[in-house]
Amino acid sequence: MGIHEARPYAAGVFENPRSFYFTYSTRMPVLGNNILQSWIERVRKLGVQSLWLTSDARSGGLAGSALGELAGQGVERLLVIKLKSYAEMDLTDLLRFHCERRNPVTEAQDSRGQLGVCLLDHRALHASGEKRESSAVDCGRIPYQFSGYAKRIQSASERQELVGDALTGGCAMRPAGTQIREQVWVVEGVSLSDSVRLVGPTYIGARTIVRAGATIGPFTSVESDCVVDCGTTVEPSTVLPHTYLAPGLLIRHGLVDGGQLEDLTWGTVADLQPAGLGSTIQRRESRRPNLIPALRETVPNAFSGADGSVVWDFAASSSASQPWLRVRL
Amino acid sequence: MNTERTILPFPCASNSGRRRTLSKDLLVALRASSSPVIVSVPGCCSLNQQDIDLLLDCVAQAAGRDTQVLFVAGSLAIRVLLEVTRIASVAPVFNSVTEALAYPQMSALNDTKAQTVNESQQCWSA
Repeated sequence: MGIHEARPYAAGVFENPRSFYFTYSTRMPVLGNNILQSWIERVRKLGVQSLWLTSDARSGGLAGSALGELAGQGVERLLVIKLKSYAEMDLTDLLRFHCERRNPVTEAQDSRGQLGVCLLDHRALHASGEKRESSAVDCGRIPYQFSGYAKRIQSASERQELVGDALTGGCAMRPAGTQIREQVWVVEGVSLSDSVRLVGPTYIGARTIVRAGATIGPFTSVESDCVVDCGTTVEPSTVLPHTYLAPGLLIRHGLVDGGQLEDLTWGTVADLQPAGLGSTIQRRESRRPNLIPALRETVPNAFSGADGSVVWDFAASSSASQPWLRVRL
Repeated sequence: MNTERTILPFPCASNSGRRRTLSKDLLVALRASSSPVIVSVPGCCSLNQQDIDLLLDCVAQAAGRDTQVLFVAGSLAIRVLLEVTRIASVAPVFNSVTEALAYPQMSALNDTKAQTVNESQQCWSA
């Protein structure tokens, strides 16, 4: 979650790592696009100069005490974005709606329910602070009805729909990389064997290796740093970064994350690892469970800041288990 | 030739002795029976490399014979693994033994339906 320090707005993006069934992270890219970055860009358009990021493993809500702290600091409005959806939302319009209605809390929702984006004013912040551990959900919300494009990225099937839409121009998101032929995108550093068959629409992420006889696509995304071994077919599916797929497999209507495969047809998860069918490719650096380095990876520009334009640090937080990271935009 | 169905339990995550026993039993059943032989994979969480090798061995043993081998996946996760390894592409897979036992009838029924559809299409095109 990010909270903007400059008044009158505060903006936040936070990741709730608890997904419903299959625990792939919402930080995972979609066709090389970073969902967090897309939200940050939307926040930037509000004229916000910095935001705060955090990961809340408890309930996806902000601690009431944290909200109270913000109220105490004179924050007039707080924009909270839970990283659970991709929505092509004009946050300026959300802000206008919120101000016009004079709601304590405005929650954005579409026909399928809440999108994880809400605006709280100082009344809601104070109320939450007084109730301590209460989340903003308790504050009586007026919905902002969003009718544009939105997909929940915590659901593997909706995520796959987003992949399909982005590959076919059904939404504003476009695959990263270069289009090498009609509806086939490839990012630099990809290694494709001569006998590989790419069936568009399809996307191959950076540094991915696709070996002889493999078939990728249609409606398929193989994200960065993967290896698809000889003769394996991946169709209407997503392969998340750092995944190895053994030779001769048939991945159909699935989402593969390392050694786990979620079948989108049956909604079941199969473990590929014991049979050596799939696994996670270990990164060169050691695994970093800490939130902050993970976010550093997620928002690379935010941390490269040699010019001082972007700064990250831990902020004083009401809870040590909920560290916040400030990103200057 | 014996027309009774043979159901062989698949020894998930078992020792090599039990695996050899399944292989032997399957071979005997394929030779002795004219009805499909059912290999029932229990609802274990996952399959290891030896399990996959044994399943592929079952398929290989049935290849080129008149008698088919059918698999029963005890769980959806096992069914997914059978599809991923393409075993489901070369041998019929069912969710329960009951379904597998009904297979020839179901197959015959499906063949009849397909034939009816084809005939009606021919009539239409004619």
